[in-house]
Amino acid sequence: MVEVNDTLSGPVLIIGAGVAGMTAAIELADSDIKTILVEKKQTIGGNALELYKAFPTDDCFYCFEGSRFRPGIRKCFYRSAMLDNPNIDLRTNTRVDEITGNPGNFKVKLTTGPMYVDPKRCIMCGLCLKRSGAFSLISPQCQPQAVFYDPSLAEESVKEIEKECPTKAINLNAQSTEEQVEVSDIILATGYTEMRPVNMDEYGYGKYPNVITQLELARMLDPNGESAGALIRPSDGAPVKRVMMVQCVGSRDENYNLYCSKICCVFALKHANIIVNERNGIKTTVVYMDIRTYDRHERYYREARESGVRFVRGRVHLVRPNPDGSLDIIVYDSLLDRYLSYNIDLFVLSTALEPSEEDETLQRTLGLNTSSGFVAPLDLANDSVVAGDHVYVCGAAMGPAEVPESVTQARAVVSKILQGRQ
Amino acid sequence: MPIYNLYMGCSVPANYPNYEAAMFKVAETFDMTLEYMEDVGCCGSPNLRAIDFFGWLLVNARTLAIAEKNGHDIVTPCNGCFGSLKDVLHHLQHDEEDLKRVNAELKKSGLSLKCTIKVRHFVEALYTDIGIEQIMSRITRPLDGVGIAIHYGCHVLRPADVTEFKPEILDELVRATGATVIDYPLWKQCCGATVLPVNEALAIRLARDKLKSMKEHGAEFVTVVCPACGNQLDLQQLGLKDSFGEEYNLPVLLYPQILALALGMDESEVGLELNRVPADPILDHLSG
Amino acid sequence: MAETKESAEPPTILVDPIDMSKLDQSFCNEIKSMPYGEELVACFACTTCTAACPIANQWDYKPHQLIRMIILGMREEVLSSKEIWECLTCFQCQERCPQKVRVTDIFFDCKNLAAEEGKVPNSIVALGKLLLETGQLYEVTEDWQREDLDLEPEVPGLATEPLKEILKTTRTGRLVGSDE
Repeated sequence: MVEVNDTLSGPVLIIGAGVAGMTAAIELADSDIKTILVEKKQTIGGNALELYKAFPTDDCFYCFEGSRFRPGIRKCFYRSAMLDNPNIDLRTNTRVDEITGNPGNFKVKLTTGPMYVDPKRCIMCGLCLKRSGAFSLISPQCQPQAVFYDPSLAEESVKEIEKECPTKAINLNAQSTEEQVEVSDIILATGYTEMRPVNMDEYGYGKYPNVITQLELARMLDPNGESAGALIRPSDGAPVKRVMMVQCVGSRDENYNLYCSKICCVFALKHANIIVNERNGIKTTVVYMDIRTYDRHERYYREARESGVRFVRGRVHLVRPNPDGSLDIIVYDSLLDRYLSYNIDLFVLSTALEPSEEDETLQRTLGLNTSSGFVAPLDLANDSVVAGDHVYVCGAAMGPAEVPESVTQARAVVSKILQGRQ
Repeated sequence: MPIYNLYMGCSVPANYPNYEAAMFKVAETFDMTLEYMEDVGCCGSPNLRAIDFFGWLLVNARTLAIAEKNGHDIVTPCNGCFGSLKDVLHHLQHDEEDLKRVNAELKKSGLSLKCTIKVRHFVEALYTDIGIEQIMSRITRPLDGVGIAIHYGCHVLRPADVTEFKPEILDELVRATGATVIDYPLWKQCCGATVLPVNEALAIRLARDKLKSMKEHGAEFVTVVCPACGNQLDLQQLGLKDSFGEEYNLPVLLYPQILALALGMDESEVGLELNRVPADPILDHLSG
Repeated sequence: MAETKESAEPPTILVDPIDMSKLDQSFCNEIKSMPYGEELVACFACTTCTAACPIANQWDYKPHQLIRMIILGMREEVLSSKEIWECLTCFQCQERCPQKVRVTDIFFDCKNLAAEEGKVPNSIVALGKLLLETGQLYEVTEDWQREDLDLEPEVPGLATEPLKEILKTTRTGRLVGSDE
């Protein structure tokens, strides 16, 4: 048996390639530890891929801090760090199917979905994108840089497109593959999922197209996004003149999620500031019950007030659609004890941040503690990142977290693993 | 061929015999056996709950206990009765002390309540036990896509943990007749019937808001599953015409009336002439 | 809401606080011990109940204020309010409450306490009387309508005596009796 050796030198499996997972991977790689970085989506980046500015620095998110070997590395961070690092074995479009074995020597079955487009060959020339809706670009910042193919949208023309791809990157007959890997440690970095409040009739989400979530707004604000950063109404593409946001949708609500999702206030204020400061003349109102800008983020709240964002303490009474696509929203102002009527173009819900759907299976397989669906550390009082024997957790898999928090936790995990190997 | 304990309450038989008749016609079509419950009467309504919680518990616990004797599910066509029975059952299932007190009283008339009985709204029994497919297979005169606004009524929808009734039930039942369900912002809103005794002006305003919202969003008819809601939305239209000169012309039909018509029955069989706002325009929409 | 003094003193222009020692500190617990009252103190004052209420704009005391008044112990004001009787019992406040405070059910509790003190609007007392005397809220008067529709003229199985007997022994009996 070589278990002892494996424990000390085996690769580390990282589940989830968002901020936390990527940070853990790169830092472990820098310490010469092999990692297998698994991501269910076709691109790395997680939820942060959708953000073009992140607090607390309001930097373009694609430009977060590098590691000690590449100080200040910015735009190219993903490509250089994640794709070309010999210590990182990145598997996108891949799910963890089964975990067996013992702590220190886990056997993990990975299933990789069909790789219809080979990222090593795809040069993003855009030829296929022009010809069929089955090919799309998840994000201009996606990594690996490759086109995404959705077979459910396939048309007749795709066969021809396959033939005509100048680098022969397309293989429509690609099959999914399975592989068993052996790893000594597992890091859960599965992040969060933004709640889609389709069951909350009072807000009309899913019913009226101009009612969206904060992440959907983030995509719209992204200069690299579909609307090139312009705020437009999803219903008709008309420019947005008035925005309303409402906080605590499905958070702090025992009918949905009883916890505070923690970052949505700052998230909303960041967006409100971007809108009033960078999108000329768009009026923005935030309906809240408590503004929770914890820690140093209070400055976002102050800035928002100074920039002219209006705040209404109260809750939404009624949303009524108009034939012209705008929405009439009646808000109960609890400070004034009056009802305020607004006519707005875009209604943005600050919805709860929930555990990722596959977390439950993973948590059960690994026998982890949980709290409100998120992973709870083994010992809350003494260690915030060790979730089990040779199992670690970082980022929003532990509950809603901002980028710097996720990075800090990932580094803590890395230091734990390094300590164990000294 | 399911058998049910039919609990009529007092409002339907007195004010809406057409609802009762249409319900029986529909039940017959689908082999549902509705047996009038013996020795029961009024549920007391939310008004009794307001002034005499324990009396209200007792009255409804008694009805539940009588049904438990033969074990058939209770069905009722009235949201008020449904709400009262459901609420009392829910409370007694969760409050052992009150159940003991209630049973001590029931014992005097040889009854006891175990809280095993199920209470159901007639339309839910129709939906669950007969099913949309079966219903659609019997439609002979579909309703031609006419826009119908559904007023569910508060006490069938809420509190949801007590009533366990999903609005989709009625949506699907209405669509099964060939009609279109009109989406209107105030669909959840109260008709105002409960506030009628203490503030009539307020009750009228609520009915008006509701009717206005329905009309503005293209409703040609309204369907209800409760005599109190039916009364409020139907009758107040006459009042609104008299006092404000506002005409809504929205016929208000009990759901079984609409279904019975689509099943090919005659308007006199479902007592269409008893609906206050003339309901005959609906006949133009029956095809086949 | 504040206590007003009857003497001819000049009106108070400074802060006129509610004297907390005069409020009924047990009121909150009293409601908490009643059916569905347990979650009362979970209220975190978000005012969703008021936003959800279709008629709160008509009220001097909004639903969230009534809950606040109960928690503070303003028993007299709550139990004498017209609002608890005008509540539509549509349960929209309760359904949307993020802390699962059973607002509508709590107003039912308040009405029962008010009824125990005889503070019931006349129109509701009249309904109680109707129930006590006839055993039902509606009586079949036009039985020809029923016959025309092939229904029994008299409702099969209908019994009005049991309800009368029950309500004689409960609060309805006392309430209606004392009214006469």
